[in-house]
Amino acid sequence: MLDILTLFLFNIIVYNIPLLYGTTGEIMIEKSGSLNLGVEGTMAIGAVVGYLAGARTGSLLAACLVAFIASGVVGLLFAFLTVTLQANQNVTGLTITTFGVAFYYFIGNAVANSAAGWPSLIDTKLGSKTQAIEIPLLSKIPFIGKILFSHMILVYVGIIIAVLMWFYFKKTVPGLKLRAIGENPAAADSLGVNVALYKYVHIIIGSGIMGIGGLYMGLNLGGTYEGSNCWINGYGWISIALVIFANWSPAKAILGTVVFGFFNTLTVKYADLAYAFPSALGWLNKIPSHFFSALPFIITLIVLIASSLSKKKKSGEPQAIGRNYYREDR
Amino acid sequence: MRKYHLVRRADAKLKRTLLYYAIGILASLLIGAVILAVLGVNPLEYFGKMFTIGLVGNKYGYRQIEGLLKNFVPLLITSVALSLSFKMRFWNIGGEGEFLAGAIAASIVAFQVTGLPNFVTVLLMCLAAMISSGLIGVAVAALKVKFNTNETLMTLMINYIMLYVIKYIGETKADWNFFLQEESDRPIFGTFPQSAFMGSIPIGKFSLLWSVIIAVALTVIIYVYLKYTKHGYEISVVGDSSATAKYAGMSVGKIVLRTMFISSALIGLAAALAVSSAGTISDSITNDVGWTGIIVAWLSKLNIPAVFVTSFLIEVLQYGCQIAASQYPAIDSNYANLLQGIILFSVLVADFVANFRVVRKEDAKNA
Repeated sequence: MLDILTLFLFNIIVYNIPLLYGTTGEIMIEKSGSLNLGVEGTMAIGAVVGYLAGARTGSLLAACLVAFIASGVVGLLFAFLTVTLQANQNVTGLTITTFGVAFYYFIGNAVANSAAGWPSLIDTKLGSKTQAIEIPLLSKIPFIGKILFSHMILVYVGIIIAVLMWFYFKKTVPGLKLRAIGENPAAADSLGVNVALYKYVHIIIGSGIMGIGGLYMGLNLGGTYEGSNCWINGYGWISIALVIFANWSPAKAILGTVVFGFFNTLTVKYADLAYAFPSALGWLNKIPSHFFSALPFIITLIVLIASSLSKKKKSGEPQAIGRNYYREDR
Repeated sequence: MRKYHLVRRADAKLKRTLLYYAIGILASLLIGAVILAVLGVNPLEYFGKMFTIGLVGNKYGYRQIEGLLKNFVPLLITSVALSLSFKMRFWNIGGEGEFLAGAIAASIVAFQVTGLPNFVTVLLMCLAAMISSGLIGVAVAALKVKFNTNETLMTLMINYIMLYVIKYIGETKADWNFFLQEESDRPIFGTFPQSAFMGSIPIGKFSLLWSVIIAVALTVIIYVYLKYTKHGYEISVVGDSSATAKYAGMSVGKIVLRTMFISSALIGLAAALAVSSAGTISDSITNDVGWTGIIVAWLSKLNIPAVFVTSFLIEVLQYGCQIAASQYPAIDSNYANLLQGIILFSVLVADFVANFRVVRKEDAKNA
C-alpha cells in the first residue's frame, strides 16, 4: 500500500519535470516582454534532434547540448521575427508550434523509415547514462529518499535551473534590467539598456531550456518513437498555463510543477490509488480521468481571472507582455 | 551607437507588398522542393499532384472537390470570424474551443430534436451552436473589458478545457450519453439522424453542399459589414486606438462585447455546418481550423477578400498534401504543416520588407 503511494509521488516528479523546463524557459522569455506560444514546437524540435544526436554519440551531455542549441535556434528565429522584424508574437509562436511538431514527425518518420531505423534507448550507450542517480545518504531515507533523491540527473538539473533563474531575476543587475524591459521597454531603453540584445539573449536561452525539457520527455518515455503520438503531448501548452499559475516566478514554478504534476499523475494512476485505499480514496473512481486532465487548465483560468479581479495582490505578469517594442512608436 | 535604424514606410503600396509576398511564397516552395529532393521525391511531380489535388486523370475527381470544399467551409468562416476580433486587437485564440462548443451544441440538437424537417433541424443546430459559442466569446470579452484579464491566455485555456469535454463525451459509455452508438460496446460517436444532415444541390454528378453557399454569402456579408456600416467603422477605430474611440464618444466595452459575440458565434456556426456536413461529431472535428484560421487571418492582413483567397490556398495545400502524400511512402501529411510554417515565416519577413526601411543614421547624429 505504501509502495503505491511512494510510486505515485515518485511519478509526479519523474513524469512532470519537463513542465518545469518548459515553464522556466517560458518565464525567462515572458519576463523580457515576449509571449511565445511556440513552447510545444520548440520542445518537440529540441527533443527529436537532441535525442538523435545523443543516440548517435552515446553521450547525454551531447544530447543536452544539441537539444539546447536546436531549440535555441528556434528561439533565435522567434526573436528575429518578433524583435527585429516586428512580426506579431501570437502568430509567430503558433506557427513555431505548427512547424515544430510537423518537424518532429517529419524527421522522426524519415529516420524510422530509413534502413537503420529508429535508434532505441536500450541499444545505445545513451541508455546507461539515463539511469537514476541515488544521492548518497539522502536516498537512503525511507519513503522520502525514493521520492526525492533517486532520479536521473536531468531532474536535479531542472530544479537547479529554476533556483538559479529565481536568483538571477531577484538578485542580479542583468535580471533587474530584464524585468524592467518586460515592464516598460521604452523606459529601460531610455536608461541605456540594449532592449533588442536582452530580448534576443533571453529568448534564445529560454527556448534552449525548453529543448532540454523536450529531450527529457523523450528519454523518460524510453526513447521509443511512435508515428502518431508526439513525445511532448501537450506539455508545452500546460507549461504556458503553469507560467500563470506560478505568477511568473521560477521558484513558484517548482511548486506549480508538483501541483500540476499531481493532477497529471492522477489522470493515469487514480485507479491504483482508489484500489490501494478503498475507504479513503475510493471516490476517485467516480471522477472521470478527463476531469483531472482538464484541471490544470481550469485552475489556470480561475487563477488568471482571480488575479485580474484582485487589485491588491501584485501580479508578476510583465506589463508589456505580447507587445513588440518599436522605438519610433515611443 | 547603432548605425542603422528602422523606419516604417509611409507609403506601403499594395503592389509592392504583393510582390514581396509572392517572392516569399516562391522561396518557401523552393525550400520545400529541396526537402522533397533530399528525400528522393521528384518535387515537380509532387507539387503537381498537390496543387491539382489529384484531379488530373481521375474519373472521380469531383469527389476530391467535394472533399476540399467540405474542409474549406469551416476554415473560411473561422478565419473570417477571427479577423473580426483581431481587427479590434482582441486576441481571440480560442477558435478551437469555441468551435468545439458549437459542435457539441449542434450535435445535442441533432441527436435530441427529431421529427422536424431537414431545413428546420439544421437551422436549430446552427442557432444552438452560435448561441453557445457566442456566450463563451462574450464571457471572455466581458472579463477583458471589466477587469483587463489577458484574453489570449483565457481563450487558450478554454481550447484545452473544451478538448477534454469532447474527449470525455466521446470516451464515456453511459445511459445519459446519447452521443454514442447504442449498439457498440466500445464508445464510438453515433451518426446523426438523416434530418440533421446538410442538404446539397446536385450539379450533374457533383453535389454542392448548402454550407458552401452559406459560407460564401457570409464572407460577403462580413465584408460589407466591416467596410460600409457604422459597426465596422467602430471596430477599426477601436483597433487603431481604444483611447481615440473613447474620446470620439464610442462605448468601447459595448463594441468589444458585440464584436466578440459575432466573432465567436460565427465560429459556432462553422462548427454546426461542419458536423452537419460530416453527419457526426468527433474530437478531431475542428481539423485545427482554430489554429490555422489565426495564421490565415494574419497572412491576409485581416482583409476579408484576402482571407477568402488565402484560406482556399491553404486548404488546397493541406488537402492536396494529404492526397499527394498517399502516393509517396517517404512523405506524410505533416509535410503540409512543415511547408505552411515555412511559408508563414517567409511571409512575415516579406511583410517586414514591404513595410519598413532600414535607414543609415547620418553621421552628424552620432557625433
